[in-house]
Amino acid sequence: MPQRLFYLLLGLLLLALPSTVVAQVKLTLSGYVRATGTNEALPGATIAVPALGLGATTDDQGFYTLLLPTGPQEVTVSFIGYQPQTQTIALTRNQRLSFSLQADNNTLGEVVIEGSGTLKEKLQTTQMSVERLTSREAKLLPALFGEVDLLKTLQLKPGVQNGGEGTSGLFVRGGSADQNLFLVDDAVVYNPSHLFGLFSVFNPDAVQSVDLYKGGFPSQYGGRLSSVVDIKMRPGNSEKFTTSGGLGLISSRLTLEGPLPNRKGSWLVSGRRTYFDVFTRQVNKLNEDKEDWNPIPDYYFYDLNAKANYQLGAKDNVFLTGYLGHDVFGFNSTNGFNFDFSWGNAVASARWNHVFNKRLYVNTSASFTRYDYRISNALDQFSFDLSSEIRDFSLRTDFDYALNDRHAVKFGAAFTDHHFGTGRLKAGAEDNSFNFGSDINYRGQEAGVYASDNFRASDKLQLEYGLRVSGFQSGSDQFGGLEPRAAVRYSLTPKISLKANYALMYQYVHLVSNSGASLPTDIWYPSRLSVKPQRSQQVATGVSFLLGDGTYLLTNELYYKWAQRQIDFRDGAQLFVNPDLDSEFLFGRGWAYGNELYLEKKTGRTTGWIGYTLAWTKRRFPPQNGTTGINNGNTFYPNYDRRHNLTVVVLHQLTHRINLTSSFVFTSGQATTLPLGRFVFQDIFGANPSAVPVYPQRNTYRLAPYNRLDLGLVYKLRPIREGGESDLIFSVYNAYNRRNPYFVYFDQIKDKETARVLSYRARQVSLFPVIPSVTYNFKF
Amino acid sequence: MMSFPYSVGLSSSPLMRLRPAALLTGSLLLASCGLQKDIDVALPNYPAQLVVESYLENNRLPRVSVTESVPYLSAPDAELPKGVKVILTMPNGRRDTLAYAPAVNPNTNKGYTHTGRTRITARPGDTFRLEVYDTQGRRVTASATMPATVPLDNVEYKFNDLSGAQRKAYVLASFRDPAATVDFYRYQVHKRSVATDPEVEYTVEDRLSNGQPLSLGTSYQFSPNDTIFVTMYHLDRPYFQFLQSVDDARNANGNPFAQPSAIRSTVEGGIGIFTILNYQRQRIILK
Repeated sequence: MPQRLFYLLLGLLLLALPSTVVAQVKLTLSGYVRATGTNEALPGATIAVPALGLGATTDDQGFYTLLLPTGPQEVTVSFIGYQPQTQTIALTRNQRLSFSLQADNNTLGEVVIEGSGTLKEKLQTTQMSVERLTSREAKLLPALFGEVDLLKTLQLKPGVQNGGEGTSGLFVRGGSADQNLFLVDDAVVYNPSHLFGLFSVFNPDAVQSVDLYKGGFPSQYGGRLSSVVDIKMRPGNSEKFTTSGGLGLISSRLTLEGPLPNRKGSWLVSGRRTYFDVFTRQVNKLNEDKEDWNPIPDYYFYDLNAKANYQLGAKDNVFLTGYLGHDVFGFNSTNGFNFDFSWGNAVASARWNHVFNKRLYVNTSASFTRYDYRISNALDQFSFDLSSEIRDFSLRTDFDYALNDRHAVKFGAAFTDHHFGTGRLKAGAEDNSFNFGSDINYRGQEAGVYASDNFRASDKLQLEYGLRVSGFQSGSDQFGGLEPRAAVRYSLTPKISLKANYALMYQYVHLVSNSGASLPTDIWYPSRLSVKPQRSQQVATGVSFLLGDGTYLLTNELYYKWAQRQIDFRDGAQLFVNPDLDSEFLFGRGWAYGNELYLEKKTGRTTGWIGYTLAWTKRRFPPQNGTTGINNGNTFYPNYDRRHNLTVVVLHQLTHRINLTSSFVFTSGQATTLPLGRFVFQDIFGANPSAVPVYPQRNTYRLAPYNRLDLGLVYKLRPIREGGESDLIFSVYNAYNRRNPYFVYFDQIKDKETARVLSYRARQVSLFPVIPSVTYNFKF
Repeated sequence: MMSFPYSVGLSSSPLMRLRPAALLTGSLLLASCGLQKDIDVALPNYPAQLVVESYLENNRLPRVSVTESVPYLSAPDAELPKGVKVILTMPNGRRDTLAYAPAVNPNTNKGYTHTGRTRITARPGDTFRLEVYDTQGRRVTASATMPATVPLDNVEYKFNDLSGAQRKAYVLASFRDPAATVDFYRYQVHKRSVATDPEVEYTVEDRLSNGQPLSLGTSYQFSPNDTIFVTMYHLDRPYFQFLQSVDDARNANGNPFAQPSAIRSTVEGGIGIFTILNYQRQRIILK
């Protein structure tokens, strides 16, 4: 069936593509946009000819192609954080023209003033529901413990919620945390967080840009329902060897980069490591003689990124990317109990970029990704190991073809071989008196082909339509589906655009988690047997206004998303090492709708944005498999449902050396479940009766609203040596020290002498008070 | 022979209760003292339900405790429900109405509200039924079958090589899991008396070890001359699931990572557990 579906679709696609080319003589202007000084490619830069209303953006290699009529043209090039350039050219033949953009400021890149063309480009593109962020932008904002976090910066954008205080998980337009596709240079990252979600794995020093798609997904993306987070790593300085880094409150960073021989490419190696464990080990050492001293567990995480690119010839480039990151947690008690817990991702990808001609180029990549965790316990002579992993090998190829000045076509295919090690258990005794093990593995193959066309029907009307055909196979179980995608933009006036989009998505792999949060022990599971693929559809409409001579962009987007076969788990589900995991799933439906209002200012000494989201997210899991479903089959709000979400981000360049930054967040209270009743449980013997909570409903209680102000100051230091740069970043997280709710629990008040329970009370726990921090960054 | 120093049913394993997330959260919370406060919580109306607890044993008087669940933040001293009638139906169909005689067993400190007058006879495979009525029209029913007997093949202990206060022993109970059935076990080790809190307790299911020899053990934690009681209950699935759900519900209060769990009662029309116990117990003095 999926095969037949594929051929049918391919036929339909070919029919849908324009069969006649508009007979018009055009010349090609193409080239690269790079950064002055480092020669780094700038993907996502805008090249526009405002007089003609034509424009293009650079691809991953910073390459662009524009089809223009002959004659003199004024070309404008812009990119976030760089000074825009305007150049007049006389186009008499196909021409190669590359641009080198100067960064706005020669500090460590912490000053962002976007090119003036950017908001206009945003107004004109068909793509809506997308947020672009550069590492330079994220580094400006105040951060928890001074640890710059790209995902937390994305949480400040409308339509994106966090999963709780300080966590880096993304909940996009009512989607759950496992419905986000994280890509690093085209390779999937399965668990993007450290320390149970408090920090993301993306080292900002190694990242160039992040694109977050909330809807209107381009056809080349598939496999997750709610968002695509496309992360591009920095290629490295191809002009000279550079060292940069930083010392922070909890971690240090070091990045080395430089050109390859003959200046045919560049390389970059970047590392980050926390040092809680250095201090806790010293504390343990000082107290090791105390009898009642319980050692503090060791904990650290690290990230290691590497990238290299090499120009094979005029038309060929290769890119190699690697990432390795782990969290390591260890606990060794004096009574013989040892507990080691480590988890992390390993990612590698190789990409070959080939330019056939000025209108057609292709990217072909092979990637490997693995996420695994291992828990090792030892108690006296017994040992116990539990581990799990997901391992993928992927191949993909993506063609970009500028058919003419009206049609830009993309097509390609992707294939992934998944290996799911859902549970490996090994228990044994030192004396080999017994050994026991269990290993549960599944395989799955996922494939997708797609084609799309960006069609400029007129100066006012632009369409992007495409189709993706996806399929998944696990053993003898096969699934497949059509994923139509469409987007339209109509320019009502040069300063007002109306937009709309639609996307259907399938998700064939599922995160097995009933924690309500993203934990390292969550495992991925293939669609198989009764676990059918998740599916969602989303429509969104929007209107954008360019205000104040292009200084401000006001955007309003309205979305509605509906999803089938959403997953959850029955109460008491056994998720570890369960060969019959299928029977623990529950399936339901989901709905999300809302309105996102977004005002941005990206030029001048004061920049920033205001975002307000009004949203609803609902789910319903009816009675099934001998259960009463969830919430007795009634519709409920998942805990990441927030009615109101307001963010205000302001950045102000006070002087040449000082930048002030701030961000403010207000969100409605998190939906949570509290026990409504309790009963006394005596057990077989009544030695210790206990109060057992009764939870008849799901998420009916709302925590208090959340609000927080963060402040930051970036101070550029005078250079100690020529060519060197350094700065200090002061951050204050939760500046007015609000006790935001993290969770609420019920407690007993007991008589101190008799231990008799006197009454019950509700307690609210907060996680972070005001936290000041300072980070020192350097570059030479 | 396979052995479990702790449960394969990880959620109930004592080691796995030391969940890393909880440990880290705990560390963070400790690091940020003063971040807790009392708050006022307005809970929706919660209608009280009858709560039944009854563990029948062969050759023992049948006893049932019938209480009521209450709104969580209500006063701790709730009254017993009035006008409750309890009928126990024997495997042979005989219906006994249990007497309302609230009392606390002085040997076990266990409270009960209804008691039978004659000891019951229960054999593996026997099914008993329970009906509980009250004057408000509430009705709770339950049915339970006594699990098969799984004999303990051996209970042994072994001391480490240390001396003085460091000299400790572990205890292993060995048996063979029946191959034809899905089985659940509850393992308890008490010191001095079974009426006290157990030193070791966990539940195990046989999904990874069906039909194989099993050993359930402890760590090195018992001293010379300790008198210990090793008990291995053979449970049916409903009782195992009830215990698991009680554990999950208790753990969910105060753990931001836990998903609140509904109680999986073995009774219908209320909350609670009605089961027939079948266990093996041995008393050992460690020498």
